[in-house]
Amino acid sequence: MLVTLWLLATIVFLLVSVLPGNVGRKVLGPFAPEAEVQRYNQAIGTDRPLLQQYFTSIRRAFTLDFGKSYGTREDVRDMVLDALGRSGKLALLAFVLTIPISIVAGIIAARRQDKITDRVIVNAGLASSSIPEFVTASVLLSIFAVQLGWGKAFANPPDNAGPIEQLQYLVLPATAMAIAYFGYIARMTRAGVITALHADYTRTATMKGLSKRQVMVRHVLRNALAPTITVISVQIGYLFGGIIGVEKVFNYAGLGSLMLGAVGAHDVPVLQGAVMLVGMIYMVSTLLADLLIAYLNPRIRLGATK
Amino acid sequence: MTDHPSSIVVPGQMPDVSERKQARRENWRLIRRRPAFLIGMAILLVWVVCALFPLTIAPHHPLDFRTGLNQSPSWDHPFGTDQTGRDVFSRVIAGARDILRIAPAAAVLGVLFGVILGMLMGYIRGWFDIIASRIVESFLALPVVLVGLLAVTTMGNSAWVVIGVVAALFTPIVARTVRAAVLAERELDYVTSAKLRGESTMFIMFREILPNVMGPIVVELTVRLGYAVFTVATLSFLGAGPPPPSPDWGSQVSDNYSSIVSGFWWRTFFPAGAIASLVISVNMIADSVQSVMEAS
Repeated sequence: MLVTLWLLATIVFLLVSVLPGNVGRKVLGPFAPEAEVQRYNQAIGTDRPLLQQYFTSIRRAFTLDFGKSYGTREDVRDMVLDALGRSGKLALLAFVLTIPISIVAGIIAARRQDKITDRVIVNAGLASSSIPEFVTASVLLSIFAVQLGWGKAFANPPDNAGPIEQLQYLVLPATAMAIAYFGYIARMTRAGVITALHADYTRTATMKGLSKRQVMVRHVLRNALAPTITVISVQIGYLFGGIIGVEKVFNYAGLGSLMLGAVGAHDVPVLQGAVMLVGMIYMVSTLLADLLIAYLNPRIRLGATK
Repeated sequence: MTDHPSSIVVPGQMPDVSERKQARRENWRLIRRRPAFLIGMAILLVWVVCALFPLTIAPHHPLDFRTGLNQSPSWDHPFGTDQTGRDVFSRVIAGARDILRIAPAAAVLGVLFGVILGMLMGYIRGWFDIIASRIVESFLALPVVLVGLLAVTTMGNSAWVVIGVVAALFTPIVARTVRAAVLAERELDYVTSAKLRGESTMFIMFREILPNVMGPIVVELTVRLGYAVFTVATLSFLGAGPPPPSPDWGSQVSDNYSSIVSGFWWRTFFPAGAIASLVISVNMIADSVQSVMEAS
């Protein structure tokens, strides 16, 4: 995991250090005196040799101290964590909306395999997961916020908004993200349940006289949900790709907007901080998924400790 | 004859090759019979025709300013007009060209590099595999769209840069799939016998193993094509697309989404719908190919 973290930091460094242009000139504008620009570059270290900048950047990645933003001179860690909090709220709402619905849809599809209900769910899922989030977001915005007047067109709630009011602002962007994840989760659940329904242990459970409900909950779902959990954890990483588009459509000041702004302004420390954070969230969520699967499935748990 | 080992006819190989051909024909027949494949192909075909002959099909020129500004959809302008009076319907038709040029090129290149890298990792193994696997893993931890955006901002947003960046981002994903398939093949008897015949590593990889892992590669190509459309459209929405007068779909959404709240929804809705219909059609095709290939 440390090796992956190091490689991640290196890739980010390679990508951002080749961003062309003089950072001091970019920040201070075309009319700033040359001496001022040089002093600025010296202060933030962009006049040092690349190799030295590289070591600084790796040290920052491991100490989680990314320095100050080139643009606003704020502490990057604070900026990134602030934005993460807002994006996290959005993502959490999206997951709360999507996980129960898509798991139930996946189970229904599996139990009605190859019947019309199944085909509808499978195809709706395929469509929902293949459409880019910004497309869903702008279509939702056209239909609900403008035509019907539901929800808010701008997602940033006022600072003093209570939880219910915040929810009103966040529900449309969260729905756009929820639609994108519905397909993946429903599809994996369906595949997992179908495999488990045909397994020997399910037949045994039915034969020994357990009720349908008990067979479903204790035998089928317990086994079927492992791939679903893996997919959900992978989605947490991809979520931050899709969230950029959704946040742009709804003008939401989250991590996506922060990264998008930093790319435009060549604000290297902010970019580094944000991308490293996303990478770490992804690694941690993958690890948590592995642990959860091991907890649910003793075969993996005991096999691993052997 | 001995200096040309590939022309040696080993009796056992003949039925094997024709069997493979027959299986391929059978798969193709099964794919063609799936309604999802046919619907997907029909939608895709409409967009391909639009991309090939935009000026013949579109009722107006995509850059023509003469019509009225911001008209809502009507018989004359089925998708309305935009803030400079251009016909949105004509712009949507003309915009098919950009994405249908860039996305397939990116998918094909990404699969090509991914196949080469995956074959090398899976067949050569050793240090090369260990190091490459680690790099592939950390690439997978990066959000594709974000890295793409970074790279395009750095290197400029020409079509070739977008193609190269998307291809580079797909390479590790494809490589992982191909590596897994090659690992299963390399222990089989036909590989051992090719080694004993004294075939070169290149020959074994590309003439012996490659034809046997074509199934997953074809699946990967169709799936990647869907993701390429997705990624290219998202990148151009985020500002990496062709500059403003271009009718590219992602750029159209990006230029117009802020006017949705003013009530001019059609300027965004129709290009967005075009993106949706294209990705859905490609994914329907990919899904049909995948289900048939994985069942066989």
